[in-house]
Order: sequence, then C-alpha cells, then structure tokens
Amino acid sequence: MPSTSTVDRPSNVSEALARGRLGVPSVIFFVLSAAAPLTVVAGVVTTGYGVIGVTGIPLAFLVVAAVLALFSVGYVAMSRRVENAGAFYAYISRGIGRPAGVGAAWVALIAYNALQVGLYGTIGVAAEPVLDRIFGGHPHWSIVALVAWALVGLLGLLRVDINGLVLAALLVAEIVVILVFDLGQLGNPADGQVSFAALSPDNLFVPGVGAVLVLAILGFVGFESAVVFSEESKDPKRTVPLATYLSVAIIAGLYALSSWTMTVAVGPDKIVAEAGEQSVGLIFNLAAAQLGDTAVTIGQVLFLTSVLAAMISFHNTTARYTFALGRERVLPAVFGQTSPRTGSPRAASLAQSVLGLLVILLYTVNGWDPVVQLFFWGGTTGGFGVLLLIATTSVAVIAYFVRHGGETLWRRAIAPGLATIALVVIIWLAVSNFADLLGVAPDSHLRWALPAVYPVAAALGVAWALLLRNNRPDTYARIGLGAASAAAAVRTAEQQAPTPAGAEVSR
Amino acid sequence: MDTPEREDRLLIADEFFLIAHNDTRGKAKLHPAATGLGLAAGLLGELTLYGHITVSGGQVSVIDRRPPADALAHTVLDQLIGESQHRAVNVWLSFLAQSATTSVGERLARAGVLRRQESRRLLRTSVSYLPIDLNAVAWPATRLRALLDRPDPPSVPDALLLGLVVAAGLTREVLWSAGPRAHHRLNVLIPALPAPLKELVGHTEAAVGAAVLRGIP
Repeated sequence: MPSTSTVDRPSNVSEALARGRLGVPSVIFFVLSAAAPLTVVAGVVTTGYGVIGVTGIPLAFLVVAAVLALFSVGYVAMSRRVENAGAFYAYISRGIGRPAGVGAAWVALIAYNALQVGLYGTIGVAAEPVLDRIFGGHPHWSIVALVAWALVGLLGLLRVDINGLVLAALLVAEIVVILVFDLGQLGNPADGQVSFAALSPDNLFVPGVGAVLVLAILGFVGFESAVVFSEESKDPKRTVPLATYLSVAIIAGLYALSSWTMTVAVGPDKIVAEAGEQSVGLIFNLAAAQLGDTAVTIGQVLFLTSVLAAMISFHNTTARYTFALGRERVLPAVFGQTSPRTGSPRAASLAQSVLGLLVILLYTVNGWDPVVQLFFWGGTTGGFGVLLLIATTSVAVIAYFVRHGGETLWRRAIAPGLATIALVVIIWLAVSNFADLLGVAPDSHLRWALPAVYPVAAALGVAWALLLRNNRPDTYARIGLGAASAAAAVRTAEQQAPTPAGAEVSR
Repeated sequence: MDTPEREDRLLIADEFFLIAHNDTRGKAKLHPAATGLGLAAGLLGELTLYGHITVSGGQVSVIDRRPPADALAHTVLDQLIGESQHRAVNVWLSFLAQSATTSVGERLARAGVLRRQESRRLLRTSVSYLPIDLNAVAWPATRLRALLDRPDPPSVPDALLLGLVVAAGLTREVLWSAGPRAHHRLNVLIPALPAPLKELVGHTEAAVGAAVLRGIP
C-alpha cells in the first residue's frame, strides 16, 4: 500500500464518492425497517405469551439486548476487516475456517428462509380485519398468502426495493401506533393499578426461559445488517457501531415496553390465557376498548403493511444471501446471475419464491394452523438458527483477533468472550426448552427434529467445503468473500500460477 | 500489449455502451449500476490497452503520461494522474461509473453514432442517446456473437470486451442464440486474458456483485 499524500488537498474522487454517504439515522432506519416492529409486537409477542406461557418476555428483551450489545463490540470491530460484512458466515469463514463458513452459510439459508416463509402464515390474519372492513368478508388465509406471495415474488424479480422514504414513513407510523397503544394500555390497567409484576426476574427464570430468550432474539433479527453499510457510511469507525448499538437499544426499549404494557392492561396473571385465546388480535382488541375504532383501524392497516414490508425485506435478504453464495460458486453459479435489466438476483429470488409457494400449499392442503404452526414455528425456528449463527460468529471474532491481533483487549477478547458464554447458555436453555418454544407436548418429536435441522445442515456444509478443498481449490479459496470473490479469484489464480483457472469458471 | 488493429473499430467503452443500450429507442438493457461499472472498466481498459496504465494487485498505476488521442481517454488519464493518492481499482471503478454513461454517451454523440435527446417529464430532465443508424448500433453485439462462432481466438480488445460483458451480467444479451461451443469459448477466454485485464474484469464482476448485494439500483 503506498502512503497516501499527507497534504489535505481537495479530491474530486473522495468528494464524488462521499456524496450520498449515510449517517447514523439513515443506517438505523435501514436496520429497523427490516425489523418491522408492529409485526413483532402484535404478532410475535402476543403469540409468544399464548404459546410459551411465560410472562418474562419484557425482561427477556432486555437480557438479550445486553448480550447482543456485548456481542456487537467485537462484531463491529471485525466488520471493518471483512469483505462481505453483512453475512455471518463471512466472519465464521475468516475466523474459524472455510469449512465452518460453508456450514454456517447453509444454516443461515435455512434460518432466513424459515423466517421469510413463516410470515406467509400471518398475512392472512393480518389482512382479515382490513378486508372485512372493505369488503365485509374475508377469504381463506391461503388465498391472501398466495396474493402476498405473488406480490413479493414479482417485486423481488423487478427489484423494487420499497422506496426508502416509504419504508421510513411506515416505520415511524408503526412506532407511533405502538407507543399510542402502549399508553392506552398503561392508562387502563387491569384491577385499576399498574403492575410491575411481569418485570420481576422470577417470571423469566422459569422452565420456559430458553424459549422466551429465543423469542426475544427473533425480535432483534436484522440488527446485524448495519455493518453492510460500512463502505457507504460517512465514518465507518463511528457510524456503524453507533447505529448498531442504537438499533439494539431502540428495539429493546420498544419491545420491552410494549410487552410489559400488555401485561399491565390484561393483568400479569391473565396474559397467558388471554393471548392464547385472542392471539394476534390481542393488542387490537385492547386498543378497541381503550382508544376507539379509528386507532384500531390505523393499527390494523399498519400491521398489514408491516408484515408485507417484512416479507419483502426478508425475501430480498434471503435472495441476496443465495446470490452471494452463487457468486462464490459455493452454490451453483446460476444463483450468482442477475437479471440484466433490473439487476435483481433472479435465480436466487425465484428459488426463494418456489420454496414459499410449496410451503403455503403444504399448509393449505394439510389444513395446518397458519399462525402457530407456520408463523410462530417458522419464526422461532428461524430465530434459533440466527442465535446459533450469532454464537458461532462470536467465537469466530475471538479466533480472528487471536490470529490477527489489533484492537483493545476489551474489544477483541473480553466482550466477545462474555457474549459467547451468554449465547452458549441461551442455546443450551433453548434446546432443553424447545418443546415450550413450540408449545408442543414435552415428548413431541418436533422438539428435537426442528433444532436438529441445523447441526445436520452445518455438517453437510462442512463436508461440502472439504470436498471443494480437494476437488475445486479455486472455489474453496473464494469461500466467504461474497461478491468480492470475483476479484479475489484473480489473485489466487496467480498465486497458484500454472493451474489453469479457466477449468473452474463455469457459467 | 496489442493495440486495436483496425482504426474503424469503436473503442471498448463505446461498444459496451451500444451493447448495453441495444435498442431502437436507446433504452437500457442493463441496470444503471452495472452499466456504469462496465463502462468505467471499459475506459480503464482502453488506457490499459494503449499502454498508459496497468492494473496489478488491485491497484491502478500510470506508466505512460503522454496524452492519448481520444479526448475522453485523455480526461480519464488526467484524473488518474491528478489524484494519485487514490489507486485502488474499485475506487476508480466506482468513481468513473458515476459519470461514465454520460461521458461515453457524449463521445458516441461526437462520433456521430448516437444523437443526444433531452426529454422533460414533470420536473426532471432525462437525457437519452438515440441511435442514428440502427445497424451501426446493433453491430458490436452481432460482431461479438460471430467472433465466438469462429474457432480462432479473438483479439485482446475483443476478449476484454467479452470479459466485461460477462462481468456486467450481459452474457445472455450477446449469446442469446449461441450454441454450447460459443459458451465454452467464452469460458476459457477470460482466464486467457493478459494479467492486468483479467484483474480488471475480476474487479468489475466484484463491483457489480457488490452493487446487487447492497440493493442499490
């Protein structure tokens, strides 16, 4: 690297590339709009109370926020040194090794797909009241899900990422509605008195604690994406860490507050029964009694748009993940192709849509419950996968800094070390409470079959990576680099000189 | 390094522009991010082919400061010399990509291949470049297709252009009717490029992929 000139003279290049760089607020908006707060508060939290039956949810959000903040210390420090910084598996391949990276990539594919497909289960319920109001009736959930599926698939192919301004407006509206609902609930406490009972640690450290912690992790999915904007932020050293910590804090505050006020309005002793009965309708029924019809209508419309926005956002995330793997040739190269006119990752987007369609049809034909068995199981299983990824990434951060040095002791070892311990404990609790998490009988096969998907996928991924190492070393060298792997391929091909790199470039 | 042998041939970036806008109304066939990056790579490729710069280890280095004949190439070289603190290929690709569609479009307009047209819709003025002779603008794509049908390897500039077409994701536009043999020739062509050009193509593909991952059109 040549030393850059020390004279601070104006540079057209720096200036032109700095134009449109993102500040902290823009990055936070990107992160939060993927988090779709109303989907979590109205959908995940209420179903969580009903299915898991533990009232410690508000506290769980705060505990998980603390753990994720600790995790983020090392994560953002490493993000500046990693290509393809948006993807956990990139950290894992750099920190632990490429085989672990491919294993993680496969885990991530399953987790993000589960999260996206799960949302099709709740769109029917979300649209129900809105359609009732407009048409005086509503179709079967699967019809609504198929319409949403077609919309998501089409937008994914056309690469219409919803306009940032629209997303920001929706996000602000969602947060305002949540806060207004919270105030309504606080103003109308059950038994006439605001109860802090739900915040007591006794309610969290009960047999279902692992389940509740996974549920809380699910609420934070997306917090990791701030690092994607490292290159486009005004000051990567400041913007990205600050945006990450603030996102975690905002999400934690909003969800902890909302899940607590729900218990205040319903009564901490009755929340589990009421949430089980009313499910996604709970906070709207509360608002109807406390705030009146208009507030409810606004809330219901925003819930619908929130679920839609989350679907589109997760669809695009999943498609891009698949695209990055296709670019690396870890998945077939066809997934790394884009549609010329729109630049959408065409094959990756189509593959995600096909999976969504199959799942919707499977649930429709079998008559399975869309809210609990698709939305909630998909969400929590996906959330558990993301938990595994975060924990492995935390280990990878430590391993990376052990080998490469740099950063302070706190950033490179203490914070990630504490985070790793906490995350492993959460995983252990989650595995032992998986039946509670799903709300199934303690001897149901699902309690091990669903979490077992991940170790199996990881093992297959590792095996695939080892095969690549022996048979296609060029591809092996590209693992974890995402789009940048195209440039790296040239470098490795030169180092290994006589081997004809052309044998590998398959298109 | 070979220099383009025939004088009547268009420059790399010009041909890339025509392939990416191969349409009777001059409409884009390729999304703006990839178009800009492909054109930027074309401009750097022209300077590399003429021996003014070279690319190695992810860095652009100027090796001949004498002004090139083409005005746009001259401008780009001046920028490279003037801002020598920036050397990373990807920085130059993103910087040149911002203005490449306009600058190459203007160059084609000066050469009499395209006609600049401004259209006002609402408050925005958009500029498009319309073909003057439809055959002339369709020629580069046709020529590349024919090249791949021939058994003998294409010249270095043509191989670079093909490499950039692949890197930008335009393969299907060029090869829509080509057989498996043409696809095979395309596959062995990029690795056979001279090292600086091969690296330029690799960085272009990486930058296009990164733009897709960021979700910026």
